[in-house]
Amino acid sequence: MSNAPSLHTIRPCLEGAIPAVMATCDLDGTPNVAYISQVVYVDAAHVALSFQFFNKTRQNILRNPRASVLVLDPLTAHFYRLHLLYERTEDSGPVFESMRAQLAGIASHAGMAEVFELKGADIYAVERIEPVAGEGLPAPAPRSGLLHTLRLCSERIARCTGLDELLQGALQGLQDKLGIDHAMVLMLDASAEQLYTVASCGYATSGVGSEIRLGQGVIGMAARERTPVRISHMTHAALYSHAIRESMDAHAAPNAPSLRGMDIPYPGLREPHSQVAVPLMSAGRLLGVLFAESPEDMRFGFEDEDLLVAIAGQLAAAIDLLQAAPDAPEPLPTPTPAPPVSGSALRVRHFAANDSVFINDDYLIKGVAGAIFWKLLRDHLQTGRVDFTNREMRLDPALRLPDVADNLEARLLLLQRRLQENSPHIHIEKTGRGRFRLCVQRPVVLEDA
Amino acid sequence: MTALLDPDRIAMVAKGVSAIVASRDATMRPSIMRAVGSHISADGSEVTVYLRHSQSGQLLQDIATTGEIAVVFSEPSTHRTLQLKARQARQRPAHGDDLPVLQAYLQSMVHEVGQVGYGPVYVAAMLVAPLEDVVAVTFTPVTAFDQTPGPRAGAELAAPPKPRP
Repeated sequence: MSNAPSLHTIRPCLEGAIPAVMATCDLDGTPNVAYISQVVYVDAAHVALSFQFFNKTRQNILRNPRASVLVLDPLTAHFYRLHLLYERTEDSGPVFESMRAQLAGIASHAGMAEVFELKGADIYAVERIEPVAGEGLPAPAPRSGLLHTLRLCSERIARCTGLDELLQGALQGLQDKLGIDHAMVLMLDASAEQLYTVASCGYATSGVGSEIRLGQGVIGMAARERTPVRISHMTHAALYSHAIRESMDAHAAPNAPSLRGMDIPYPGLREPHSQVAVPLMSAGRLLGVLFAESPEDMRFGFEDEDLLVAIAGQLAAAIDLLQAAPDAPEPLPTPTPAPPVSGSALRVRHFAANDSVFINDDYLIKGVAGAIFWKLLRDHLQTGRVDFTNREMRLDPALRLPDVADNLEARLLLLQRRLQENSPHIHIEKTGRGRFRLCVQRPVVLEDA
Repeated sequence: MTALLDPDRIAMVAKGVSAIVASRDATMRPSIMRAVGSHISADGSEVTVYLRHSQSGQLLQDIATTGEIAVVFSEPSTHRTLQLKARQARQRPAHGDDLPVLQAYLQSMVHEVGQVGYGPVYVAAMLVAPLEDVVAVTFTPVTAFDQTPGPRAGAELAAPPKPRP
């Protein structure tokens, strides 16, 4: 038995490239054989099979929990038999949600989205994995250098001293070292139960500030269930990426005409064929999601997922650390006089209901970042101040920053980016750890709506 | 004996599509393997599946001891799927006369599986079967089920009415 392959070594067989088949047996002795959409690696001793229909397999397994599953290696054409024992069915949680998202991808590929709906993830103990005799094909050389790639990405992350640099560096690392051309980082706004894009690469527009609700699409699912979600086949008909856009439209606040148009377009690919979303977790808390996609089918294998999860771990820890870096407690250095302003006035409107801010009728930002911007402008106009600290933002009750995990750095970065992309006459620059400066080049008129 | 299968289904099996064979032992533990070939009589009353002994020891033993056999046939490009069952089957070693059947099956599978993206080399590796390792298992299906994926999967097919004398 010591030569028996482990579930880990046969993971390529569980990628879903070739459908697995399963034999069960009724108590009257009648065997049954059926195709199964998914055999998913749960841990070293368990797999999950998709439960989609109340069929013979299902009836059998509830009466007689033994099953035999035949899987095929998509590269070597070697067969393996998995001898399984049914344990339980899960209809929520990470395994279920990740299978449901994957199934939607598979189903849309097969043109059967409507009939494929996951009822449950059937969890089986793997009693034995039996290699089946056969000539097969030579195994391709293992993908070399993955660990080295991880090291290079890791070193890059470890060198970063600011959040902006960190996020850009991580995405650049994915691009340079892993050839991942389309990726983004989204941060969690826990109180709004949403994720907002803070950095992206490879898209025509950055999409910084665009929002995705928890549970919405691949990204929202990965966040809500705190599990990676990977889809290898996907077409324009897929429920997932496009559901994001549709849902964004459907959930735009209908009762507030003044807030219309504030949704920033999500930057995703029009027709993604592969997607992977990995939660950013630090100290047990969800910080956001690292997301990558590709116009090619099967672009991300389980090793890519493993690598992204490892990078996400370090990225999340670094985000956490940089956000928690001590704010400047000492008095500010000699205040810098505000630079002269000139030109026509900018009209900045603030809607208290959701702290949304418009500049000359163009939506800029909302939420905590909007409240921060409004405070900065008011202070600036009242006192001429241009230098601010993170600390005072954190202490200002008007900003309603949650105590824990306020993501202040991320919100400032979001504001900085939105200004950069949408308002050339106002910008924010970092002036040191926990310090920043508001630079206003045109006169500003504030209007509290 | 009336055949269970209509001409369309007989034709699908006859052209050579994916065939997976299952049985079970005395303790109700299922066994399974992919066939390396199949053949169906023109009226659909007799079906032969070919298995490699080296790959299917338990399965062949289970079929021999319990008689139980279930075979699922599926067309990869359309997911059209059919399951046949019987409670007795006979086994014999394959011989030279079976070679054309196995070769025709392989050719058909190269075409069928090719349509879903796998090349001839891969399909050949999946189905390679030295004749001396091959066992032919023949049975008369007594029940048949439509197993094309979807909510209706599993519906039992009724035997077509007997032709009038």
